[in-house]
Amino acid sequence: MKKSTPSSKRNRKTPRKSPRNGRRPWFWRFVFRASAIGLVLLAGWTVYLDAVITSRFEGRRFEVPSRVYARPLELYDGASISASALERELELSGFRKGDGSRAGTYQRSGGRFVISTRGFLFPDGQEPRRRLALTVYRDRVENFSVLSGEASPIVRLEPAQIGGIYPSHKEDRILVQLEEVPALLPTTLMAVEDRNFFDHAGIAPLSIARAMLANIRAGEIVQGGSTLTQQLVKNFFLTRDQTLVRKGNEALMSLLLELHYEKGDILETYLNEVYLGQAGTRSINGFGLASQFYFGESLRDLQEHQIALLVGMVKGPSYYNPRRHPERATKRRNLVLSEMEEAGLIDSVRAAKARGKPLGVSARPSYSENRYPAYIDLVRRHLARDYREEDLRSEGLRIFTTLNPAIQNAAEYAVTDTLGRLASGETRKALEAAMVVTAKDSGEVLALVGGRDPQYAGFNRALDANRPIGSLIKPFIYLAALEQPERYTLITPVLDKSFTLEFDDGRRWQPKNYDKTERGEVPLHEALSQSYNLPAVRVGLDIGVDVVKDTLQAFGVTSSISEYPSMLLGSVTMNPVTVAQMYQGLATSGFNTPLRTIREVTDAGGEALSRYSLEVDQVADPAAVHLVQYAMQETMQEGTGKSAYYTVPRELTLAGKTGTTDDGRDSWFAGFSGDLLAVSWVGRDDNGPTSLTGASGALPVWSRFMAQVPQHSFSPVVPDGVQYQWVNAERQALTKEHCNGARLVPLISGSEPTQTVSCSGNLQRQIEGWFEGLFR
Amino acid sequence: MNTRFLIYSATAAAFLGLAGCASAPGESIYVPAGSSRAEAPEPPEASSKDDKPRVWRKSEQPEVSEPAEPAPRSSSPSYRDAGDSLSPAAISLIREADNLLAQGDAPAAIARLERAQRIAPRSAEVYFKLSEAYVASDQLGTAEQFTLKGLSLAGSNARLQRSGWLLLADIRRARGNVAGADQAEARAANL
Repeated sequence: MKKSTPSSKRNRKTPRKSPRNGRRPWFWRFVFRASAIGLVLLAGWTVYLDAVITSRFEGRRFEVPSRVYARPLELYDGASISASALERELELSGFRKGDGSRAGTYQRSGGRFVISTRGFLFPDGQEPRRRLALTVYRDRVENFSVLSGEASPIVRLEPAQIGGIYPSHKEDRILVQLEEVPALLPTTLMAVEDRNFFDHAGIAPLSIARAMLANIRAGEIVQGGSTLTQQLVKNFFLTRDQTLVRKGNEALMSLLLELHYEKGDILETYLNEVYLGQAGTRSINGFGLASQFYFGESLRDLQEHQIALLVGMVKGPSYYNPRRHPERATKRRNLVLSEMEEAGLIDSVRAAKARGKPLGVSARPSYSENRYPAYIDLVRRHLARDYREEDLRSEGLRIFTTLNPAIQNAAEYAVTDTLGRLASGETRKALEAAMVVTAKDSGEVLALVGGRDPQYAGFNRALDANRPIGSLIKPFIYLAALEQPERYTLITPVLDKSFTLEFDDGRRWQPKNYDKTERGEVPLHEALSQSYNLPAVRVGLDIGVDVVKDTLQAFGVTSSISEYPSMLLGSVTMNPVTVAQMYQGLATSGFNTPLRTIREVTDAGGEALSRYSLEVDQVADPAAVHLVQYAMQETMQEGTGKSAYYTVPRELTLAGKTGTTDDGRDSWFAGFSGDLLAVSWVGRDDNGPTSLTGASGALPVWSRFMAQVPQHSFSPVVPDGVQYQWVNAERQALTKEHCNGARLVPLISGSEPTQTVSCSGNLQRQIEGWFEGLFR
Repeated sequence: MNTRFLIYSATAAAFLGLAGCASAPGESIYVPAGSSRAEAPEPPEASSKDDKPRVWRKSEQPEVSEPAEPAPRSSSPSYRDAGDSLSPAAISLIREADNLLAQGDAPAAIARLERAQRIAPRSAEVYFKLSEAYVASDQLGTAEQFTLKGLSLAGSNARLQRSGWLLLADIRRARGNVAGADQAEARAANL
């Protein structure tokens, strides 16, 4: 029909042009030329395809995403963790509840745990497989012992994967090598998908014919007939549309691939390439990752029924998704088990037993992407200092971070739970928050919350909300003052009285207290713990705004700091992470400790690329810092932070400082225990007013966090040159413990009061104190 | 080399009887999380619904006596005379680090010591050991800082004070700071 139409047209035309010529010679010439051109084109096309195949196969075959890990949990006698947090941690690391004797399982009864670790290659060496037993009692590990495996008083669990940095095509995979794959996997794969894999040359015409016949007989597609090589080519190089041209290309490329490469090479690539599922925008490729994704287990540990399921899923990963369609998946798996039996891979007893087993799929993927977007954001910014984006996306790097999942969980809960109960109406809806938690003595960032919805990967307030810090600056003003012990001590009277500053250009500045009242003379420690504004500004002006600025810079602030006197009331803006950096030095006796999110980066094979080590740098006199720590503890016990103890157990000694800016636009709290330093911020993105102060906004978030975490009290070691003395601040004299107005206060040697007051109130030595002259 | 030898002997002195001093005065006070009310619920992703209540079987009862509860504190700021002593876990990591140092592998020793530092962040010994490892890798500035950090936790422990100041004197001398070294040595001598 098609043929006849053009020829009849030609018939009508040709007689006029060349009446004598018949159509035969012309036709053959045409056919000859066309085939010649066709052959040349085909040859060219083949050369092109060959180049495509070799270039893709020769170079790096896969772009492998970088993996980001949480800190590994260290288990030892005395380790601080609650039983529920330990269980959560185990789940996050992909452990399953079980008998505790198979690698990757644990058993819990009450506070008693038996854990079988899988072992893990850390940057500093292999942590071998072990079976552990321990008890968690009063939030601490006890009776820790290694039941089997190499003995050690301390063991690291394998770390949880908390993120990945993916290639632009969003394919995720864990590369496996043929030698490390259980032998049953490739043999099963061949039994089901391509029995003659080792014999054919890339395509198997007989199989195709057989498949076609089967399909015609069944009236639907029941067999594919594609070889593994063809499937690989299809996934690797071609689009998904089903055209004849594509089929031709597929066959041609399969032949070429087989021509160039060993069967083992092709098989290994197939095992890593095959598409086996989807997690959001991320595709699950290869058996290595699929094993983790569906079973939470390493490929080498899979049992035959699990291998059968994965191989069965090759045919249709979403149709046979075992989490969504367990019945279909079971049917398919059992079919594969029967094929295995038929092919002699397993005997009939084992096959029957395997068919009777449940699917054994973990309830949820052991790792879900983007669980901690704010934290990963900070990790990526730190990585960007040393690594190129394209390497992170393709080189399969392993990034070991400092994230502590239990602390992160507590911080997220503190933010979301508290924010819903602060303020009211429209203001409540508009409230946002951020939180940073670090390990006090190492500067490791343990948790980061970027907003009220911690799962939302948008504006990261912990890093990008630069807000005035308000009274958070005051400890640094007093620190600078107390570094001059001949002028300032904790009991030095400071003036809580208003004044006006007049600038050269005629502008006037008149700072006020938050409560608008003035108290006359107050001792310095009280001025700080009650956060009075007027004494802070007076002391700051006395020692010099530039000195305060130097102090802030010494404590790690690198952003610009204005030298206007209003900076003494915290007009200087910072983000919560910078505040945490700055407070690190206060929490650690004057040692600036750079914040870190990354411990190590290794390449895919475990070779170390970078280490980010602990650093300390003494930037302030430990004696003066100790005095500030005293007043910051007082803040929690008697001052603006005392409402923390509505939530936090009384035995937990803490130190901290509130911060509030005009009209409650920013509510801050920064403080620390013996183990942790935490900074919280509450405010509105539009910088609008709220009814909150540091004590009623950020502090409840902070306290809610602290109350959830088992930890050590803050109790600083008294530094050289500091003595605790009973003093009567009002009388500026040493006194006895039980006298009226007696307070035990740390003093730097040489700055003690020179007179003594008895309980009856008699001054025992009448010497005019050196400090009295200072404030005249 | 002479300096190194001195440093090693100083810290070796500090570590004599390491395991022996079990309880220094003023150990950190551990406070379990407050009421269960205060604890965060399972995150929505977690799936451990069969949380069993905390029931002790007789055989599993831990054999420790109830730890003495700290007396309800008077509301005055807390302080203490010395840092924490080392736990057996920290000691084992430090021993491993010692072996690595002896083999000349300072980077691996530092990695081990940072692990020890994380679980014993308030023990002077860990910082002195870090200092020693940085001396071995010729980073004297870093070593000096870790010595100072250790000294800030030594408190009234004369043994730790002495080895810390001697270590500091050696490092300062090696860095050419003779006056600072003499000063540190004098501090050690006064203890």
